[in-house]
Amino acid sequence: MMSGLRYLMGMLGYALVMSPALAVDPILIGVSLTQSPPGSVVQGAQVKDGMEIVKDLVNARGGVLGRPIKLLYEDNQGIPEKGRAATEKLITSDKVVALAGGHQSSVCLAEIEVAHRYKVPYVNTNCWSDDVRKRGYPEVFNTSPYNTLVSSTMATTLIAMKVKRVVAFAENTDYGIGQAKLTGELLKAQAPQIEYKYETLDRTSKDFTAAVLPLRANPPDVIVLSMLPPAAYLAMNQIYEQGVAPSPKTILYDGSGLADYPDFWQNVKEGGKYMLSFALYHPQMKQTKLATDIAAEYKKRTGGDVNRLVLQAADSLQLVIQGIETAKSTDSDKLIKAMQTMKFESIRGISDFSSKPGFGYQQWLEIPFVNYEMTAEKQPVGQTLMIQGPGQKFDPAKIVRPAK
Amino acid sequence: MLAFDLLSNGLIYGCFYALMAVGLAMIFGVLKIVNFAHGEFFMIGAYTYVLTSLKLGVSPWVALPCAAFAGALLGWLVERLLMRPLYQGYASWGFMKDEYAVVVTFGLSLLLINLVDKIVGPYSFRGPPLIDVGRFAFGPIMLTGQKAVAAIVSILLMVALALFIKRSVWGKQIQAVAQNRLGASLAGIDATRTTSLIFVISGMLAALSGALLAPLVNPSPDIGAFPAVKSYVIVVLGGMGSIWGAMIAALILGVSEAFFSVYLSYDYRDAFGLIILVLVLLFRPQGLFGEKGRQV
Repeated sequence: MMSGLRYLMGMLGYALVMSPALAVDPILIGVSLTQSPPGSVVQGAQVKDGMEIVKDLVNARGGVLGRPIKLLYEDNQGIPEKGRAATEKLITSDKVVALAGGHQSSVCLAEIEVAHRYKVPYVNTNCWSDDVRKRGYPEVFNTSPYNTLVSSTMATTLIAMKVKRVVAFAENTDYGIGQAKLTGELLKAQAPQIEYKYETLDRTSKDFTAAVLPLRANPPDVIVLSMLPPAAYLAMNQIYEQGVAPSPKTILYDGSGLADYPDFWQNVKEGGKYMLSFALYHPQMKQTKLATDIAAEYKKRTGGDVNRLVLQAADSLQLVIQGIETAKSTDSDKLIKAMQTMKFESIRGISDFSSKPGFGYQQWLEIPFVNYEMTAEKQPVGQTLMIQGPGQKFDPAKIVRPAK
Repeated sequence: MLAFDLLSNGLIYGCFYALMAVGLAMIFGVLKIVNFAHGEFFMIGAYTYVLTSLKLGVSPWVALPCAAFAGALLGWLVERLLMRPLYQGYASWGFMKDEYAVVVTFGLSLLLINLVDKIVGPYSFRGPPLIDVGRFAFGPIMLTGQKAVAAIVSILLMVALALFIKRSVWGKQIQAVAQNRLGASLAGIDATRTTSLIFVISGMLAALSGALLAPLVNPSPDIGAFPAVKSYVIVVLGGMGSIWGAMIAALILGVSEAFFSVYLSYDYRDAFGLIILVLVLLFRPQGLFGEKGRQV
């Protein structure tokens, strides 16, 4: 009886030692994102999708430094305090080697303080506010777009359109207010003849009609939207309902890549037609082999077309993985140094990060972008009218307006 | 012209707010508890309407009563399973452990939000309109077919509710229980059954408002926060528990929000209601319509 028990325990011990899954500790990477309201759950779901694809691809080829990658998710609900607590837990309790996935500026601004305090690398996936970069933390790397890029592009576009009057609707977040303010400053400096004003709207509100009604009597040439779903969809519908835009005089200009979201046409319908959109992804843009593979895998898993947020998330994790491979270590200092100096072979074509202080600090500056117009209801992004291709000049003559 | 636009838009939203809030006012009037899951009754109605019409392909006019039924069923289940154990056996309302009602309804609210988030998903859905009429001008006012129909249906439902409470036997029973539960019981009214009826009506009205607004507010799992906050403000403003007070307070809130946001700040449009809530509680805790109005 005793010898049988000893044999069984011996076999169990052998299995524990020899099992590759158990013998190799995974490399833990923390991901703090929004998985429940009131934050943008839609964004959180896409960030997770992008990261899961990269993780699975990397683990299928044997992991990094012979160890599998494991992602530890925390739900921050889009609330800065919860993001701060989640980051603290991931670093101190779970002992993650790096953090990635931040996708809402107000949350990122809270989380980077924790990452900076513990000197743990933090890759910003989609926090556009320039303030995330301006703090100058060496731990924070930005594969995300940034407000200066978007605002300066929008200002250039508005000048090229020769508009006289512009009204911006900005959500009351670091992203929204930051973008609207900066666009105004750039317009004031480059084209002071353009009358520009922005209104801050509460992102949790359901009725923006009161903000739209004053525009009926004196419609602007362009209404800029610096808002995210679902508030942006409601604002668009109410602008349409009041007959302000689209019209022969007024068109909407979206500054957040709204058409990328999988639920865009499900929510806006007529209000989305003729919308001009600043976008960071379009199927006509040059794609790397990795991006094409990720797009195919995303299609297989979700049935939908890939978009910029999925690719940004994939790039964030890719940066950490390449950093570990280059540093040949998961030590924070070595990892940060590697990420600062290595040639990053990214999914979207990122080559290096700027070290210039300010909005460009540890930021991929040359992010390709396009401006396109939705010319029909339910139009897929791939079939939209390209007004400005990547690296090209904006051509206002191409803009289509409604007849009445 | 702008002032007229704001007034008409405020009145339309006031009608929507009234439909959302009146169920909460009824529950408070009779049970003296706040149903923290009231917003989720709205959400369930909105989702039932959207999913029944979009996924099952039935007419929105069929989906609307389906939403009403879902809300009524939810109301009945909540009262039967969660609320009744709190007061069953107590003839006097003073014995009721109403703090449990707060915890139970708050827990139910979180449960329903997360259930819908996990089962249906986080994406918002725009419900199909009840009539296929896009935007149109009604005199100087711009409307959509859905907004006009939703406002008309809301008004009709309010009138029907008023007649039901005033004229029907069940309505009179509700009034009696609201005024004096023990007295009503002594007069032979089944207070427990009446309470159940109130939850059914409250759930049904909240769900109907969710269904009517689904094409206008694009429901997502957290949509209930918006009607809940408005409803709390309206119930306090109208005199806690008063249906008539709630209806008038809803119109006041709709109109004052519209003017406040244009002439003071868009950013704090929704905070304005909360400012009213604090001011009323500080200076006129009985609500605008006083003690007399504080009855179903």
